[in-house]
Amino acid sequence: MIPSTRAALRSLRAGERARRRVSVFGALGLAVMSWPAVAQWQGLPTPGLPRKADGTFDASAAAPRAADGKPDLSGIWMAPRIRVDLAQGLKKGETVPFTPEGKQIFDERRATNSKDDPGARCLPTGIPVRATLQTPFKILQTPGVTAILYESRTQFRQILTDGRSLPKEVDWPAWQGFSVGRWDGDTFVVETAGFNGKVWLDQVGTPASDAFRLTERFHRRDFGHMDVEMIIDDRKMYTRPWSTFAELLFQPDTELLEYICEENERDSARMVGK
Amino acid sequence: MYRFLVSATVCGVFALSSVDLRAHHSFAAEFDSNKVVTLIGVVTKVEWTNPHTYFYVDVTDDQGKVANWAVEGGAPNALYRAGWKPTSLKTGDRVTIVGSRAKDGSNLANATSFSLPDGRCLFAGSSGPNGDATTTCRQATR
Repeated sequence: MIPSTRAALRSLRAGERARRRVSVFGALGLAVMSWPAVAQWQGLPTPGLPRKADGTFDASAAAPRAADGKPDLSGIWMAPRIRVDLAQGLKKGETVPFTPEGKQIFDERRATNSKDDPGARCLPTGIPVRATLQTPFKILQTPGVTAILYESRTQFRQILTDGRSLPKEVDWPAWQGFSVGRWDGDTFVVETAGFNGKVWLDQVGTPASDAFRLTERFHRRDFGHMDVEMIIDDRKMYTRPWSTFAELLFQPDTELLEYICEENERDSARMVGK
Repeated sequence: MYRFLVSATVCGVFALSSVDLRAHHSFAAEFDSNKVVTLIGVVTKVEWTNPHTYFYVDVTDDQGKVANWAVEGGAPNALYRAGWKPTSLKTGDRVTIVGSRAKDGSNLANATSFSLPDGRCLFAGSSGPNGDATTTCRQATR
């Protein structure tokens, strides 16, 4: 497609109107004919990435900076391995500090192998587990707002960085809550509140109530690696705030794909539990 | 002749029974990793859909009786990134599938691997407790 398009552009510069039309239509025709060959959505080199001499992505290059001098977190990220249990991201020796109510809910969910997980019905997954499900997501960092596009279930979040604070009272409890972001040195700190108490934080059933507040701390170590600390604060489910950690790897030469979960969801009716 | 094997194999691999490689749902709520099935048959229908792909296979047992099985694979995204195309497995293809049978006892399984007659072993992109696709392909063709 590219050579024929270039040819068309050259002919445009050349002048003659009739010849121009022929060339443009020719280029368009070639473009359409060659579409299947260029429709491969994976493996195309992502422009602007640091590369080694052999052309492979240099993950250890310095993290890029945005125009304001802060690290630019933009790009596609994914966990190196799947984790469906936030407890797998605890520091060594730590345990999840359940309240009796939180422990009861968690134990009930484990006893039935998470058959009632809303995520299995294509409802939103918990924000913390999205970082560890080994499904890609794209961060788009712009002045005033940072968006996260999650491929799985085609979910998105907006993290407002226009200086506003979280509301003192939330008048619309939501699955994903409401998020604001700020910089703490080179760490992007996202605070989220206003959850509806329906979401499961992970697939094993770690609970969250309407008192849940989440703080995420993103630190891009270098071009290819990012660390995330997720601080879970929910006085109904946990006796104190606790942290789970995840590593994210930059995903070069790929793009997000469509994921319409509702298309053919048939598992939930067959989930018998034990 | 197509064979139909259902082997109740106790597997020592139990890392976390609810792990699903693409994590749409808890594996253990629906499938039993102790009931390993090997399905050898002909593909009758393919659904390249989210949240899971489905491959329907006619399997003939030793008495000549044909049963149609539904086999759940990973999400199209996972398969596509692993090199699959929507046409990688088509109606009429002969296939050997190793997977875990549904707990409800229906003719439904969650695939671990797909082996094609030409020797290709396709990643199933789904539930992991019974080992990786390469290993299960090798076991299936032994």
